[in-house]
Amino acid sequence: MEDVKSFIESGILELYVLGDVSPAERREVEAMVQKHPAVRAELDEIEKALEFYAFENAVEPSAKQRAKVLNSLVVNLADDRIFTKKETLTEPAVITMRQQAGSNFYKYAFAACIILLLASIAVIYNLNNRLQERTQQLLAANSQNQQIAKTVNYMDEQLGVFRDTSYKILRLKGTKNLPGGNVLIAWNPVKKKVMIDLKSLNMPINDKDHQYQLWALVGGKPIDLGVFDKLARDTTEMKQMKPVALAQAFAVTREPKGGSVNPTMSEMMLIGQF
Amino acid sequence: MSQKKLILSEEELVLALRNREKVAVEALYDMYSASLFGVISRIVIDEATAEDVLQETFVKIWHSFSGYSEDKGRLFTWMVNIARNLSIDKLRSKDFRNHSKNQELENNVTSIDQQRNTVYKPELVGIKELTQALKPEQKSILDLVYFKGYTHVEAADELGIPLGTIKTRLRMAIIELRKHFN
Repeated sequence: MEDVKSFIESGILELYVLGDVSPAERREVEAMVQKHPAVRAELDEIEKALEFYAFENAVEPSAKQRAKVLNSLVVNLADDRIFTKKETLTEPAVITMRQQAGSNFYKYAFAACIILLLASIAVIYNLNNRLQERTQQLLAANSQNQQIAKTVNYMDEQLGVFRDTSYKILRLKGTKNLPGGNVLIAWNPVKKKVMIDLKSLNMPINDKDHQYQLWALVGGKPIDLGVFDKLARDTTEMKQMKPVALAQAFAVTREPKGGSVNPTMSEMMLIGQF
Repeated sequence: MSQKKLILSEEELVLALRNREKVAVEALYDMYSASLFGVISRIVIDEATAEDVLQETFVKIWHSFSGYSEDKGRLFTWMVNIARNLSIDKLRSKDFRNHSKNQELENNVTSIDQQRNTVYKPELVGIKELTQALKPEQKSILDLVYFKGYTHVEAADELGIPLGTIKTRLRMAIIELRKHFN
């Protein structure tokens, strides 16, 4: 017991409470505290006294410190809890990964579809442009074709005049008014058709106040068969004149524009008879 | 400022801290922040630095609570030693020394008491009496060791008093406190 008393009176317990002991002294005090209730009681008294002293000398920290300190501790608290939860969540985590992989596939598939769609639209647009181009070319070719067919038809018709044996071909020759002039006339007495071949027409170009007029001489009387012009440009045209069933001769006179009822004999240019 | 302070018994608090309960953190702060800050702010004079140390102290208490054992002493003794050690570490750290001027020890204690109003606790009757009950030589040694973090060897050196006398005066001072406490 004497041991305990001198231990208490040495002041080591006070230094222990103040944290002012070496590790060896600390172990000695802790051993004595375990062994002797009196030492423990003494230690407790010293601690309470100093705690009281600290309480008496307390300084209140500013109010905002409370939230700051508590937050820093609560953050740590929350961290701990998250950490412990994580360990039990391995299974759902795997499922989540799988779902994510699936949604990734659809994401890429969707992207691929959009790219294909855009590419298709571009191709269709391009093809459509070319189709329209071709259609226009085709239309142009078609109208050209029709034009040619028309021309061919027309020329075939004209050629038919010469092939048709029912036509009588007559060459009118120039009078003294127009030596060297001539033209071909085709006359079908059955169909009463008279054609004048403007290509073979060898006459001076008429001025704008005059026209040439074709006459048929039937029993010595002139019959008007219509007017025509000598054009400046070349032409393959065969002009159909007024019909006549009977004729002994044909003549061309120069008449005022629009023609005359009776021929001006002094202006007789061509004549031809069967 | 009107928030209700959370007070638990020491046994309840220790249990709640072991169970890592949120309520333990609040009770811990409400019960001990002023006492601990009293020690910290007397060692680390700069208020902002002292507040940092207070936070560090609570963080360390929280994280190393498994190191506390009732067999070795009371909870407050363990905590105040953490607070004192962190304060001294801060004081000795290079950046803090560059930052603050060396001040005369005695001046610090008195200037602190002038700067800060020590909290008036009406429930603690006879506090003035208590402080006056301590003889000046007892108080100066106790304050050096308890509030300034001096070892008793350093205190002996500082005050020019033999080591044995320091120990005796320290013990007498605490015995005096115990009288008033009881």
